[in-house]
Amino acid sequence: MAEALDNWEAQIRKGWLDVAILATLWQGRLYGLEIIRELETRSDLVVAEGTVYPVLTRLRKDGLIEGKWEESESGHPRRYYKLTSAGRNRAQSLARHSHEFLSKIDALIQPLLKGQAS
Amino acid sequence: MIETRQSDEQVEIYLAKLREQLGGLPADDVEEILRELRGHIAERVAQSDSKRNAAPVDAVLRQLGTPEQIGSLYRADALAAHARASFSPSLIIQATIRWATRTAVGFLAFLAGMVGYALGVALIVCAILKPFFPADVGLWISRHGMVLGAELPRPHGHELLGWWIIPYGLGFGLAFILGTTVLLRWLLRFVPRAALSILTRAPQTGV
Repeated sequence: MAEALDNWEAQIRKGWLDVAILATLWQGRLYGLEIIRELETRSDLVVAEGTVYPVLTRLRKDGLIEGKWEESESGHPRRYYKLTSAGRNRAQSLARHSHEFLSKIDALIQPLLKGQAS
Repeated sequence: MIETRQSDEQVEIYLAKLREQLGGLPADDVEEILRELRGHIAERVAQSDSKRNAAPVDAVLRQLGTPEQIGSLYRADALAAHARASFSPSLIIQATIRWATRTAVGFLAFLAGMVGYALGVALIVCAILKPFFPADVGLWISRHGMVLGAELPRPHGHELLGWWIIPYGLGFGLAFILGTTVLLRWLLRFVPRAALSILTRAPQTGV
């Protein structure tokens, strides 16, 4: 049972990571670690930090975000990401779909949360 | 000082393992991936240094996930992107097999693909064998329905194509292989990349 729950959670996380990353970039540009910090404080989506980078690469190759290397005071260059216009459109449409989807699921599971009989 | 050197070494070993995992990706991509992760590790370690003394590099690398885990995500994405843009049946089959192990739809696509390729190959093989075994290779129609291929003894029934099986076999055989490739390539466009990932279950530290 615990395994089934873990597996379900892992799939859910994977599925939501795209939306969440696009959402963190809505306000402006961030580099990888900033995106991860944002996701860590505002969601439960990141378990292994390294899994965020492949998603960033994929979103970049799909033309939804663009990356730009910049030197930093830390001594290591950082790649800053920002949404492209296609990315802004995608982020908004994903947000709308997510919201609609989640409200329906939420309504569906309300009785379970309250422990009511069906 | 010795400790710093040890942790540097640990990071290098980690990145070397990841580099190994990324074999097959374009060299430029590999360098960028490693540069980005190197920066991530350095910054994380620098942050944690002041707060904790106990092996910050260990903790940072553990938190990052294993090189195998990260590598497999990059490879799955690269494979999916590549298969979508490619006409190579072997690459497309690889991606489809991975998809088939994850979802029922993927499995059906895989079956359809295999039937398509098998038919294509069978037709071509018939065309090639016909000159050598003219009496035993062909397409027959009989009480039992249609029979294609090489049969001993020769099936009872009326042979439909005769020598025409050579051009038809080659033509339709190639068409089946090409058609199946185009179909699978098109289907792969709709596969969520996560479904092509090698990870079937997340390890303890994984997403």
